[in-house]
Amino acid sequence: MVQLVPTLLRQELARLAEEDARIDGRGRWDSRGFNLETDCLYNAEGSAKVVLGGTVVYAGVKFELRTPWPDRPTQGSLMCGAELRPVAGRKYEPGPPSPQSIELGRVVDRGIRESGCIDMESLCIVPGEKVWGVMIDIHVMSDQGNIFDACGLAAIAALRTAVVPAERFDVGEDHVLGVKGTPIMASFTRVGGRFVYDATEQEELGGDERIHITLGDEGHLHSLQKGLKGAFTPAEFTEIFDVAQERCVELRKLVAEKEGN
Amino acid sequence: MMGGYGDVQLLNEDGSRLDGRKVDEMRPVSIEAGILPAADGSAMVTQGLNVAVAAVYGPMEAHPRKIQRQDRAVIDVRYNMAPFSTSDRIRPGFNRRSREISKVTAEALESVVLVERYPRSKIRVEIEILAAEAGTRCAGITAAAVALADAGIPMRDLIVGVASGKIEDTVVLDLDKAEDNYGQADLPVGILPNTGEIAFLQMDGDLSPDEYNLAMEYNFKAAKEIHEIMVDALQRRYQGGEA
Amino acid sequence: MSQGQTGAEQRLVTPGMTIGSSTGKRAGSGIIAENETFVATQLGWLREINNTVSIDPIHAAYMPRSGDLIVGNVAEVRNNLWFMDINGAFQGLLPMSLAPWKVEFGAARQHMDVGNVVLARVQEVDECHNVVLTMKGVGLRRLNQGTVESIPVQHIDRVRGENNATLQRLRDACDCRIMVGENGRIWIDGEPEGITWARKALQMVASDGHTKAFEAILADMEQEQKLKGDA
Repeated sequence: MVQLVPTLLRQELARLAEEDARIDGRGRWDSRGFNLETDCLYNAEGSAKVVLGGTVVYAGVKFELRTPWPDRPTQGSLMCGAELRPVAGRKYEPGPPSPQSIELGRVVDRGIRESGCIDMESLCIVPGEKVWGVMIDIHVMSDQGNIFDACGLAAIAALRTAVVPAERFDVGEDHVLGVKGTPIMASFTRVGGRFVYDATEQEELGGDERIHITLGDEGHLHSLQKGLKGAFTPAEFTEIFDVAQERCVELRKLVAEKEGN
Repeated sequence: MMGGYGDVQLLNEDGSRLDGRKVDEMRPVSIEAGILPAADGSAMVTQGLNVAVAAVYGPMEAHPRKIQRQDRAVIDVRYNMAPFSTSDRIRPGFNRRSREISKVTAEALESVVLVERYPRSKIRVEIEILAAEAGTRCAGITAAAVALADAGIPMRDLIVGVASGKIEDTVVLDLDKAEDNYGQADLPVGILPNTGEIAFLQMDGDLSPDEYNLAMEYNFKAAKEIHEIMVDALQRRYQGGEA
Repeated sequence: MSQGQTGAEQRLVTPGMTIGSSTGKRAGSGIIAENETFVATQLGWLREINNTVSIDPIHAAYMPRSGDLIVGNVAEVRNNLWFMDINGAFQGLLPMSLAPWKVEFGAARQHMDVGNVVLARVQEVDECHNVVLTMKGVGLRRLNQGTVESIPVQHIDRVRGENNATLQRLRDACDCRIMVGENGRIWIDGEPEGITWARKALQMVASDGHTKAFEAILADMEQEQKLKGDA
């Protein structure tokens, strides 16, 4: 459904930007606070729930045994998909996966895949015959802004706490997946002419383009995505890139804390 | 579903069930209302290892036009199991089972919601099963009822989803996964606790008339207990809200 | 406050709950009578005034009524009318003849386009929920400045207070122009500081049941205004 953007909302966001203020009183680079819970769904081999303001998402990890691709006989596979079902908000409609949900799943997928945190060779059981397929499914339950960061965090936290169900498939003992890094996404939306971190639904409605940056443990870039109408300058990117570095370090600590439990 | 009967023992020597429950004992139920800020109303029902979440949107104009009813609202239910909700991953999307459950659930809800108050409208009810261990359609109905109440939708009762069934020729309340897989019958119903009516009914397997009566008796007893938990969830949400 | 709910005597009822005998009493909103017994149909606070038993719902959708002042967003423009999003189940229709300007057929867009925000009144609602709006009347107009805050419809009375007393205090304290739409949208215009205050106060109202927090912010604002006045 195309959403109506009231002219007064855009005017107000522009006015607030001039004062370096935000509509909910936050600073430009503040988040609403991420709440992370892991191991919360019985049938998933790894699971996480993220609450970010009014945004609620779940991620669940499942494993399956499959034959490897002929050109990569010793490698397992990883797949990450997101569903933006009508449960998530008034604006979401039933039907086949929307371009938005495909984009969301693929951006999260790239960040995890390209960071190399999963060693595909370690998913091999019998070369050429049997490998693990790892599937991360993200379920958005309530969208009140910045579902990308919530989904990225839920996906990596679910993955890092996943247990490979080898016993159930009769291929050895259950063991932890062994994830070597914690790629984290940080998203910025142009609101009232300048970028802010962790935009709310209202800011997204009255805002313009968004930029998603996924950073690995060493602060390297693993995935970038610019979405929606708008264009930005290299200087603007430099500014948000520095903020992304800081926010990603904080969220990586949050994931580590949950694993410590 | 009947296949494994005889091979698997589902009752202990002392007549208790594998998880220690008595025959007329349900799995622990907890309910939380208003958990999804984007929705007009929402609820999460945890029953044993099941997790069912419902979100309600509306009333809103019914689209497309052809589904509009001039004299009442239509209730649009989507029951969906998340890919990670079961032991083997489910491919996303609708299947025959979820379509059927969605249809009969919608009709059950239309029997309690005062739909004639909202001509040409639609009320969307989204039921998402996040963890499934038998009995999810009932947990979904219970979640939908609490979510509808939370959304302020007028109803003549709070419908409760419950199921009884038969294992090893014994009628038991609230089948778990193993009992559902290897049992002989399952009788899921939607009960209106205030009026004592039944607005949702399905059954498969084999039940004698006496067994049916006993299963229904268990269902009504359990509905009363779950109803109290539903009311408590709604009252907790709003009575605790005064800062 | 028309619905102060701090008292212990207030009872929160759920749909299907029996309330008591209907003998000698009238069923108000949210209540039906079955076999001479009142049954609640909505989640809300039970109220009995002048022998009428009714429910103040916890959550209510906006149901337009003739005469309501509302804040609408233009959703669609046709040659001779506008469709407005009014935060209800159905869009409202503003015909050219009820616009505040003399509009030529086909020139509707020159006066108001999609996304414009207006202050309008509900002219009439038929039994099929068709809503006709009017902008003919004192103060009804296109809103070109200021901002709109949304609050749940059932909390509108809290913002207004008895005889608009609370609303007037809010207006005075933040020195803003404030118009309350029955559809849960509140238009605010004034100095940036005042708007920020008003928004903060209204966001308190928007989060369920925070009447006291709203009062506290209002009192703070008044205190600060007073200090300014003294200086």
